[in-house]
Amino acid sequence: MKKLILIFLIIMVSLIAYSQAKKPTIMVVPSDNFCISKGYFSTVTINGAEQKIPNYKKAFQENDQIRLVITKMGAIMSDRSFPLKDLEQTLKSIDTEGTELSMMSSKSSGAAIKESPIDVLKRTAKADIIMDIDYSIKRQGPNQIISFNLRGLDAYTNKQVAAAAGVGSPSSFATADLLLEEAVLSQMDGFNGQLSKHFDDMFKNGREVVVVVRAWNGSEVDLETEFTANGEKESLAQHIENWMSTNTVSGRFSTVDATENVLKMDQVRIPMMYTYSSGREVAMDTKRFVTNLNKYLAAPPFNIVTKIYQRGLGEAWLIIGEK
Amino acid sequence: MRKKVIFIVMITLVALLSTAQTRRDLKAMYHSQYSYEVSCLGVGQDGTKAIKVWGYGKNAEVAAYNAKRDAVAAMIFRGVSGGNGAAPTPAILSIDGYEKNAEFFDAFFKSGGMYLSFINLTTDGVPSGDDRVRMEKGYKVAICASVNYDGLRKYLEEKGIAKKLDAGF
Repeated sequence: MKKLILIFLIIMVSLIAYSQAKKPTIMVVPSDNFCISKGYFSTVTINGAEQKIPNYKKAFQENDQIRLVITKMGAIMSDRSFPLKDLEQTLKSIDTEGTELSMMSSKSSGAAIKESPIDVLKRTAKADIIMDIDYSIKRQGPNQIISFNLRGLDAYTNKQVAAAAGVGSPSSFATADLLLEEAVLSQMDGFNGQLSKHFDDMFKNGREVVVVVRAWNGSEVDLETEFTANGEKESLAQHIENWMSTNTVSGRFSTVDATENVLKMDQVRIPMMYTYSSGREVAMDTKRFVTNLNKYLAAPPFNIVTKIYQRGLGEAWLIIGEK
Repeated sequence: MRKKVIFIVMITLVALLSTAQTRRDLKAMYHSQYSYEVSCLGVGQDGTKAIKVWGYGKNAEVAAYNAKRDAVAAMIFRGVSGGNGAAPTPAILSIDGYEKNAEFFDAFFKSGGMYLSFINLTTDGVPSGDDRVRMEKGYKVAICASVNYDGLRKYLEEKGIAKKLDAGF
């Protein structure tokens, strides 16, 4: 009897442990405007045109104020059970990873680690929510005034989900560091209040992501190919939209583009959790959601081979025709 | 003559009724648990809010005591608008937070209740000057208070009254 209770408890604990939605990661990133206006940028030539891109490493190495702001924000967010992902440390880690990957070889054949150009391109700092920060300290006679702008951007949709902006009170004796600390303390409660509303919306209406269906060049099937499924003869694009309607929260998604080669859907509200047929609940993400669509298309009457490509955190592509 | 008397009586009755209504309204406002008069004094130290809060009472001491309670209640149910370089502070709960947890808050706000532990500092002593207004029946006084906002939020989260930022994750 005791054994039975113990087994039951273990099963319950494991189910509870799995039934947690994926916690978003948050990272503070200095805004492009901040980096470029302060001279923390690199110039690159793309298609013959010169472009300035932010150099975060330089910003962290040369600006102690931005480090102070991030530390202060980090402390506040940790206190709210949301430790921030540190951009400076992530950049260092990416550099080290690149070096290690280039030097690593197998013991028996001396083979190097397999990495496609896409894999290299994808080795960047990522977070679910970006806290885009920008500030400037202006002078007005003997006084200094801080202007502070913080935007919370959802990396899945690029939508602004929280914001805090304002101008501090003028001060003739406070140092720039003190003004910055004051601005962070003043703005963070409001920012977190908005963030909390965004999470409430996520739990109520699902996580918002982007799903794109494309076709490989040379694929025999395109999105206008007709199939008969569930008694309806419709184009593949229409069948995919029907599946989306059934599998999104309250059938919420918007088709942005639809041609014979591309079907782009945004504002796709995916559920926070997915329940396996065994009853086990796991957190849902874009890749898992698109994998389910992939299974639907792999089954009769479609029998379509597809490749899943995750682009960013909240966007996945399903490319039909080949793996 | 008779018509004139009726007219005067009617006018007097209407006037009396309207005065009584005004009195009732004032009394209701005076005793309302939603009537907080709070303004921001600036950015407080880590996790605290510096505010000026007005309280009503039969005498200045009672009014100052009520102001302390209102300072905490405003943080929980209404938030504080920005000012003096500080951004607005959001309410910890929604406006109907009291109705949803009436039993908890009746105990929390009782005389000498737990709410007092979240008032770090006030300008104790009976206020004077512009911060002390003599009214027809009683006093309206203002005190400056430092409220431990983060501590209050965490306490309500621990008690299951407020939702944590990472709830559900």
